[in-house]
Amino acid sequence: MIEIEGLTKRYGPKLAVDDVTFTVRPGIVTGFLGPNGAGKSTTMRMIVGLDKPTAGHALVDGKPYAKHPAPLHEVGALLEAKAVHTGRTAFNHLRALAATHGIPKSRVHDVIAMTGLESVANKRVGGFSLGMGERLGIAAALLGDPHTLILDEPVNGLDPEGVRWVREFCRYLASEGRTVFISSHLMSEMSQTADHLIVLGRGRVLADAPISDVIAGATRRVVRVRTPQVQALTAALAGPDITVTSFDDGALEVSGVDAARIGDIAAASGLPLHELTPVDASLEEAYLELTQDEVEYHSEVTR
Amino acid sequence: MTTATETTTAAGPLDGIRLSFGGVLNSEWIKLHSLRSTMWCLGLVILLSVGFSALVAGVLHLQNPGAIPATNAASLLVQSSTIGVNFTQLVAAVLGVLVISGEYSTGMIRSTFTAVPGRLGAYFGKLIVLAVVVFVVSIVSLGISSLVATGILNARGVNVDLTRSDVLLPLLGGAGYLALVAILAFAFGAIIRSSAGGIAAILGTLLVLPVALQVVAGLTNATWVSNVASFLPSASGGQLYAFVQPNAPAPASGVVALDATTGGLVLAAWVIVGVVIGAVLIKRRDV
Ligand SMILES: Nc1ncnc2c1ncn2[C@@H]1O[C@H](COP(=O)(O)OP(=O)(O)OP(=O)(O)O)[C@@H](O)[C@H]1O
Ligand SMILES: [Mg+2]
Repeated sequence: MIEIEGLTKRYGPKLAVDDVTFTVRPGIVTGFLGPNGAGKSTTMRMIVGLDKPTAGHALVDGKPYAKHPAPLHEVGALLEAKAVHTGRTAFNHLRALAATHGIPKSRVHDVIAMTGLESVANKRVGGFSLGMGERLGIAAALLGDPHTLILDEPVNGLDPEGVRWVREFCRYLASEGRTVFISSHLMSEMSQTADHLIVLGRGRVLADAPISDVIAGATRRVVRVRTPQVQALTAALAGPDITVTSFDDGALEVSGVDAARIGDIAAASGLPLHELTPVDASLEEAYLELTQDEVEYHSEVTR
Repeated sequence: MTTATETTTAAGPLDGIRLSFGGVLNSEWIKLHSLRSTMWCLGLVILLSVGFSALVAGVLHLQNPGAIPATNAASLLVQSSTIGVNFTQLVAAVLGVLVISGEYSTGMIRSTFTAVPGRLGAYFGKLIVLAVVVFVVSIVSLGISSLVATGILNARGVNVDLTRSDVLLPLLGGAGYLALVAILAFAFGAIIRSSAGGIAAILGTLLVLPVALQVVAGLTNATWVSNVASFLPSASGGQLYAFVQPNAPAPASGVVALDATTGGLVLAAWVIVGVVIGAVLIKRRDV
């Protein structure tokens, strides 16, 4: 369990994380989403004490990370930036980390096998591909068999097989009762992996809810309707907060009123309906809506 | 999708593990010897030390070698055995900086401080492993150098005795000097956090500063400048491996002359100040 309270980080004039409070619970996968520069990596670095908070604190299982007698057994962290000496082999890198906690060499071999690094374990890390480096980072995070996993963009650079492995492995670890906290900007990835979402934008928490609630919370919920009598139905539906958009193919998109009500109104007016489909916003849309005002680096769309 | 029930993870095989200082020392030892650059540096220390000793012992100008008194012979032996320290100190300095700056430049420091979040354990663990390794390798290299020098000088007809205490102490002092230089360089590396910057700073302190002060002292003829120069790490530490002439003349009034003890203490003070500043910064700064 990770408890974050009033966490704030200022780099000079830049407020990277702004009074953030949330809890990451065990037994589920919690996704940490947000646009570039939102402060996800900074928050994660503060949890393991690499950056000192300007204010607030982060606790892991009730204590600051550094106060645990076996930190690597408490938290396994894969951080964004590379964190390996390029001149050392993968095996020696893991062995050196393991030695600090008296973790046996057999465990080093185990995590190498789990992450599929056997064939390159005795090669120097400097020559590793992006994906192999990412696997080594995951291996290091798993080394201490931690209760809590903090993975900053763990699928970065992985091939599809690797992406699926990470997803299934995270779900498996959570099912064992561990706390799993993963950051990403990939909504599609999160929708398949996470149970709960924390969305960050410009250093502030924009949403902290189960993934289904985040989707449901999106205001853009519409019902697609088809009728031969477009004019009549549009008139019948007219009302405050109700918008009806018509499309070239004859479909209508109605928002502000649910499908059942539309059906009732049509029946009462004797209007035939050929289609009546509630369209959920995708997680992608929900997320874009949440963060549209909070994106730090807007890409200009040229038309 | 299940909501969190307070499940506890099953007891795993790693439940008894602990972060310990012994473990950190072991980790730093693995890190040190698993890098090729370390092996190059240590190999170079032995090569330079033995090579220069053989060279100097072989080419020293000797007049009537058989008649050289025992004290002078001991002095020749110490000089030719420790001549390589002038060069190996640079290698020890580079190694000392790289041990920590290499972790910053590659990002390894993040892994290190995640495993050892108190940070000072890793800092002092690194320092101790570095100092012990440099000391042991220096003892070995100075030992071989002195044996080689003894052999060559004996072959050239000088009657040298390696077992005299005024020969053995400077050899020990030379190894101590190299270990202290490595620690000072390590502190520079921790403070500056860049390989190029750290190496430039320590080589500047060891090589450039003494020369600069010498030039100033020569131009101004000021005693205080040369007195300051004798407190620089290389000059004060140099006393650790210098041969002590039994009846050396007293220094002129106002001129500071450090001996092995005071010189060693001055160098130790440099080292302590550097290490403390490094420790404070390591503890305080973000990684
Ligand atoms: N060490 C630092 N010094 C100065 N500014 C920093 C530092 N680290 C992060 N920042 C700034 O803080 C903000 C948050 O950065 P952070 O890396 O935490 O974002 P992020 O959510 O992880 O973004 P991304 O999705 O691109 O990884 C950014 O504006 C970044 O420029
Ligand atoms: Mg990031």
